[in-house]
This record gives sequence, structure tokens and C-alpha cells, in this order.
Amino acid sequence: MIRVQFFGLLRLLLRKESVELPSEPGDTVGRVLERAEKTLTGPIIHKLAAGGVLNAGTIILVNRRNVLHLQGLETPVNDGDTVALFPPGAGG
Amino acid sequence: MKNGWNGKVLRVNLSTRTCAIEDLNMAWAREYLGGRGLGSKYLTEEVAPETDPLSPDNKLILVTGPLTGTYGAANGRYMAVTKSPLTGTIASSNSGGYFPNELKFAGFDLVIIEGKADRPVYLKIHNQRAEVADATHLWGKSTNETEDMILREFHADAKVACIGPAGEKLVRFACIVNDKHRAAGRSGVGAVMGSKYLKAVAVRGTGGVGVADAPAFREAARETFRMLRSHPVTAEGLPALGTAVLMNVINQSGALPTRNFQSGTFEGAEEISGERLAQTYLKRNKGCMGCVIGCGRVTALSDPRWSGNGEGPEYETLWALGAACGIADLAAITKANYLCNEYGMDTITAGSTVACAMELYQQGLVTEAETGIPLTFGSGEALVRMFELIGTGEGFGARLGLGSWGLAESYGVPELSMTVKKLEFPAYDGRGIQGMALEYATSNRGACHVRGYMVSPEILGVPEKLDPQVTEGKAGWTKAFQDFTAVVDSAGICLFTTFAIGAPQVTNLLNTATGLNLSQDQVLAAGERVWNLERVFNLKAGISPSQDTLPPRLLQEPLPDGPMKGEVAKLGAMLPDYYRVRGWDEGGVPTAEKLATLGLV
Ligand code: SF4
Repeated sequence: MIRVQFFGLLRLLLRKESVELPSEPGDTVGRVLERAEKTLTGPIIHKLAAGGVLNAGTIILVNRRNVLHLQGLETPVNDGDTVALFPPGAGG
Repeated sequence: MKNGWNGKVLRVNLSTRTCAIEDLNMAWAREYLGGRGLGSKYLTEEVAPETDPLSPDNKLILVTGPLTGTYGAANGRYMAVTKSPLTGTIASSNSGGYFPNELKFAGFDLVIIEGKADRPVYLKIHNQRAEVADATHLWGKSTNETEDMILREFHADAKVACIGPAGEKLVRFACIVNDKHRAAGRSGVGAVMGSKYLKAVAVRGTGGVGVADAPAFREAARETFRMLRSHPVTAEGLPALGTAVLMNVINQSGALPTRNFQSGTFEGAEEISGERLAQTYLKRNKGCMGCVIGCGRVTALSDPRWSGNGEGPEYETLWALGAACGIADLAAITKANYLCNEYGMDTITAGSTVACAMELYQQGLVTEAETGIPLTFGSGEALVRMFELIGTGEGFGARLGLGSWGLAESYGVPELSMTVKKLEFPAYDGRGIQGMALEYATSNRGACHVRGYMVSPEILGVPEKLDPQVTEGKAGWTKAFQDFTAVVDSAGICLFTTFAIGAPQVTNLLNTATGLNLSQDQVLAAGERVWNLERVFNLKAGISPSQDTLPPRLLQEPLPDGPMKGEVAKLGAMLPDYYRVRGWDEGGVPTAEKLATLGLV
């Protein structure tokens, strides 16, 4: 299984902290997002990315590593991984 | 005047109880803009660097920027500039709300407060009339009560900045609270006010603020509005969740300092997150005057142990009162936040000082006989109790009131104080964010995040994502962030706008408001000028470059857990590069050429 966690606005919108999805061979962050969106019938992807590119300020962590330092939406996701989704948010 | 500035300075001598109106030094205004820059210029001209911060010789300067009070987004900021009693450095502490604009509407750009009254007083400003009034009846009152009483006796529409009991007791991290819930928080500026027996500044202003080119300024302001309303951070994230949205982000990134920096992840982060606050005590968001972002949190606390209402907690507070103390009790944190507002003390230093005391207790250096309650990490009750003691100056509270450096040093273990230049860190562990480590080490007021928020590129990916563990190139980024932030702080606008707007927009706003025709490079050079001015003051005050460092824990003890496990702050790999990009010598002293280029000699 793959655990997808929702933070910030996504959590408020989806009213869910996380969801578990069965893993599939060749999974990537992008594919996991598409499946999560179908499962929850909630808007997930457009809060995070546009045209296959992450929005400025979007943070996606796979096992706590930012995908921008891995392979972005193409980052492989394996069974047992955790994908954390943070739409743009900031503070100080 | 019709160029952002009013052109007027109010000088108040508390020793003689006299108020005088002077012309603003326009040459300085053009070079230092306003706010932090202009205030620092006046301070460095008028206060000797070696001055005892709590003596009558220190001055307190309340200073707006040319954009403060203008039509525009988030243009309502001021700075309290003084020499800090917590750190001995130059201090400038920023706040928003409604008070800063009112000062402009009264016709002043800055108020310089000097000397010391012989009994409690407060300053009343009604447009161009100012008077030092008796405040004996206000002494000892909370910030809330003080404001209410002043509104009743002076003017119902006045705006008030005041100190609470903490400032009166010279708690070294007392803040100045305005409009009840906004604070010039850091560096102990409230203690300077207390040392002068000045309880409050109340102002009523009915004028406006003119700009040089009104149509162009309106267009520049509209562009800013558009950008703020369309950027996901300023249009959605900050209004809905406030700054507290960062709790889970920073925790998952492994850079959430926990239990006095003993680790970088907190198992209770969810319990004290912005998401949790939104599901519990949050009533609505709230903005400073004219702000379209509205990051403020209006909250009501209902818990069997405590109740109340107010504003906050924001991210730094949730961290300092929460993770730093190992506390996952949102009710206790919210209650303790309200206490900070009422007593008038900086939540970051207050929480961090209790965190330090908790480690002293853990090590057996502090005992229950001293504290009256087990000071264990994780105890919300202990936190609330300690804050009551600090605010009233009773018992162990008097020691805590010195800040973590003064506290840890008094037990012979200053290395347990998580500070740079005696100012406590905010909510990001430099071991997990290398540029932030450099920024902390070099900031002119000590370990501060709002002097160059490297978290933005290194963690949040704004304006672009940098790898937080890479050290190469961080010196240049840090300098650029520091200089630009100094401009924003001097202009009178809120730093949070800069998640959406950048130097071109700020330059445009400044030019159309002031009538100056500055290039973007000249604007950034003004920021660099401010930075160097502060640095030179600190050096003369005896704060040597050897203090551009971090506590041994950050330099030597690797993070024990999380994605940044094993990392330390690699300051040595960045500092020489930083001195070089700053145009300073190898020892960290600004060179004569650099100072000449900036017009500082
Ligand atoms: S973003 Fe927040 S702090 Fe800044 S002006 Fe707006 S409400 Fe005030």
C-alpha cells in the first residue's frame, strides 16, 4: 500500500488526513496523485501542479524527501512509501 | 508633504517632559527610506554604541516607512528601533495593526523618545499636539486593560502601543503590544520602554498620506493587489491557515527544533499544527489595516482547564511554546500565548527560555524547589505557570526573565542557551536548512528568521527550490535576501507580501510614492547600506565577528532523527564566502571601500 497524506488547504478541502492506495508496478508521484484524485473525487492535482509542473511553493515529499530534489512528478513510488502533499503555504 | 513622508519628527524628552517637532532629515530619508533603515540611522547618530540599553541614554525610536499609511496592500508597518537589552545589538522590531498608520495620519514619520521619566507616564499624540501624561493608574495593568483605559480617557478612536507588566519589570524580552494583539516582539524593545517609565504611546491622527505621483502609485498598488490575490500563498494558504501551516512542513522536513534542539522532529507536531488549530479554536482570520492577506488568527479557547479569547497562536508561537518545550497540548499553548500578549512578552524568547529551563531541569541543574512545579518537557501546566511567574517577576520568573542566555549562564552552562548573539532561535533548525544557519549566524540582531528568510527557497521552494543541505551558493542567496528584506522593512510594508511580489514591485511602489527615481539596484543598495550600518554599530558596541557563530549543539551534535539525521550546521563552509560577497575583510569587518561605496563614511 501507499500512504498519501494531505496537509494545509488540501486537508481542509478533502476533510481527510490521509488515504491508503494499493501500489501498482511502475508507480510515480504523478500516477499516485491521479489515482488519489479518482478515489476521493476531490480536486487534488490542480492545487499542486499545472501542466505537469509543480506550482511554485508546492511541496511533495516521498518518505520525507522533496521530489524536487528527486525526479519531480516522475519520482518512483514503491509499496510501503508515504507521499505527503502540501499545497503552497508559508509563514515566518 | 506629498511624497510618502510627512517630513516631521516628534522628539519627546521624558526627563524634562517636553515634546518638540522637528523637520525630518530628508537626506537621510532618501538614503535610508524609513522604518528600520531610517530609525537605525537616527539611532546610530544619536546613541553611542556602548550605551547601557536600560539607561536613560538609550533612545527608543518608533518609525514608519514612506509606504506606511498609503493606499496599498499590507502597508501598515512600523519599527521600534533601539539598542537591545537582551542582546546589546542594534534592535529593530516590526509590527503592524493600526497604530503605525495612525502615526502617519497624525503627521509624523517617527517619534524619538529619550531620557527617563521619574514616574509612570504615557505619551498622547493628537495630530500635531503631543503631551506627556501621568500613567500611575495604568502601571501594573495588562496590555488589554491599558488600551481600554486609554481609549476611555483619551480618545475612543486612538490607536495604542503599550507595554504590559513584563516591560515594567524589565523582562529582557518584553515586547511592545499595539492594537491589543500585534507586537513589536523581538529583542526586548518593551523593556527599554519600561526602563523609561513609559507605559504607552496613544495616537489619534486624522490626516492622510500624500504620494508623489498618485495615478502611478495607484496603478503600482493595484498590481500588488492583483499579485497578492492570485498567488496561492498569499491568496489561499496564509488566510486559511495562517503561518501555522508550516508546522507539518517543517517537521516533515526534519528541521523542527524539539526539546531545546535535542532533535529535529516532534512526534506531537500534528497536535499543534495550523490544520489542528483550524479544526479547534480558530474563529476567523484577521488582517492589519488595509491588508488583503489577513494572516492573523482570531481564536477562542475552551478547555476544562482554561478559557479565554484573543489572537494567535501563529507558527513561531506554536513552535516555541510547543515543540521547543516538547508540548503537544494546544490548549496550554493557546493559554500561554494569551498570557504573553497580556504581560507583553515575546513568545519566541519566552518559550525558548522555558525550553532551556526544562533542559536544565532534565539535567538536574534546576530543581523543583526553585520552580515550584516539575519542569518536565511536555508539561503544558508548567509552561503556563512559568509564564505567570515571568510576567509578574516572581520567584524563578525573575531568572527566566533574563532570557535563555542569562538563565543558562547563571547555571554555568551558557552552551545550553539556543541563541546567537543572545537572541533565541525561531522555529527552524539550521542543521536541516544550511542557508538559514548562515543567516542566523550573521543576522545583526541575533538568531532571527525575518532578516533573511532562507526557509523560503530552501524548504518552501519560493521563488525557486534550493537544496537545504547544499552550502555552495548560499552566501550569495543569504546576502540577497538580507538586503532585500532590509528594503521591505524600511519601506513600511509587510514582509509577507514578498511571497508574491519582488524587488521590481517594491521599487515601483517606492518610486511612485516618494518621487525618487531609484533603479532596482539602487533600492537594493539601500538595503545593503542599512545592513552595513547595523553591522558597524554592533562592532563598535563590542559585538565582535567571533559572535557570527552558532551554539555548539548545532555545529557539533548531529540531528538524531528524521530526514536530516546526521546533519550539523556547516557554517565553516559558508561564512568566509559570506564575508567575501559582503565585501568585508576576512575577519568579517566591512572594508573602507565597501563603506565608501555605500556612503557610510
Ligand atoms: S500579512 Fe499578516 S502580518 Fe502582514 S500585514 Fe497582513 S495581516 Fe498583518
